[in-house]
Amino acid sequence: MRVAAAIFWKDLLIEWRSRDRIVAMLLFSLLTVMVFHFSLPGGATAQTQAMAPGLLWIAYVFSALFGLGRSFSLELENDALSGLALAPTDRGWILLGKVAANLVILGVAQAVTALVFALVFDLSLLPVAPALAGIVVLGSLGLCTVGTFFSAIAVQTRFREVMLPLLLLPVLWPLLSAAVRATTALLAGEPVPSEAIQLLIVSDATYLIVSFLSFDFILDD
Amino acid sequence: MSRAHIEARGLFKRFGHVEALAGLDLTLDAGECLALLGPNGAGKSTLLRIVAGLARPSEGSLSIDGDAAHERTARRRIGYIGHASLLYPELSARENLIFAGRLYDLADPPGRADELLSEEGLSEVSQRLVSGFSRGMAQRVAIARGLVHDPDVLLLDEPFTGLDRRAARRLESRLDALRRSGHTLILVTHDLASAARLAQHVVVLSEGRTVYESRGPLEPDSLERTYVDALEDAP
Repeated sequence: MRVAAAIFWKDLLIEWRSRDRIVAMLLFSLLTVMVFHFSLPGGATAQTQAMAPGLLWIAYVFSALFGLGRSFSLELENDALSGLALAPTDRGWILLGKVAANLVILGVAQAVTALVFALVFDLSLLPVAPALAGIVVLGSLGLCTVGTFFSAIAVQTRFREVMLPLLLLPVLWPLLSAAVRATTALLAGEPVPSEAIQLLIVSDATYLIVSFLSFDFILDD
Repeated sequence: MSRAHIEARGLFKRFGHVEALAGLDLTLDAGECLALLGPNGAGKSTLLRIVAGLARPSEGSLSIDGDAAHERTARRRIGYIGHASLLYPELSARENLIFAGRLYDLADPPGRADELLSEEGLSEVSQRLVSGFSRGMAQRVAIARGLVHDPDVLLLDEPFTGLDRRAARRLESRLDALRRSGHTLILVTHDLASAARLAQHVVVLSEGRTVYESRGPLEPDSLERTYVDALEDAP
């Protein structure tokens, strides 16, 4: 547990000093929102507002791909990844520390993206902000867990930039469908379907347990 | 300090079709300094990474006092100083050592970091980011990082690379002092003179196999001749 806390602190400190991930993630997600705005006919119509939850999660996933890809590539410089793997601990704690740091960094990018999204698509997010934040945290936990896990695999391959989306996107399908369904219901003023929340929780738990237990083998040569 | 005995039996490591280690046997007594010599691609670094628990053998076993090298109990006893420093350039020297101390769950990581920085003569620059350090300074921080948890076994992969003569001599006497205090050292190097001064046990590897092994005091000139002969006679 203390190893996870140390990695969380170290990753956030490095990000605070370099700010390279958060800037790239914000620029990318905001550009995605702008592309949606200009490519959809008629700007903020009822039709585009109905598509908003899906578009919002697409922006979140694209943004996450940028940040998660960097999560382990920063460990390649000076072979710091070996330094982590040498630690006499369950290597799953290394993963959890990284997941927590990624969740915070992604959360900042998501909050700014949501504000811009609300302005561009004329959505009133303030009244549903706490519930939306809950859905986004549940969705992002699974996204960051499995994304960080695959980032550790991708970083050891020759085609690391291509490998992460190829590995991640198919696995994310159940989680994303549940997150979009829950967000759609919330923004439409309808009750959030409990099956969607249950699927989010089950997906998060599954990703966390499987990733924690199998991470030991990922860091071996 | 408890003294660590290392034993490898029938060690194979394959990367696809490439055989990096081909049935290696090795016994290293506690408190010994072993120099692992051989040309590039002989399997020296692979063996070191297996001892460090960073890689698992494809076949065979490697144990440290009976514990498999990749087990947590064995990893706690290993310090590793590779060709790369394992340091984060965006963190200061002190922050790097505190972080390493936390990875080993030390009781007082800041105190241990200050102690090591003082021993390495780096207290003045402890708050400076490692990105601004010379190769020699970064190597001293890397050595402090490898020693942060006071390991029984120290693995050194080309530790003299990039160091000037003075820094290399300083490192050599540091390693000699560590060995005298009971640490077991495994040194991978192409620097035969340093190997002769530090090691009491020499193994020459070629294509993943031991082609020469000796124990006892060594002279730099005779080691060089022996090394060349061993490689020429290798099958």
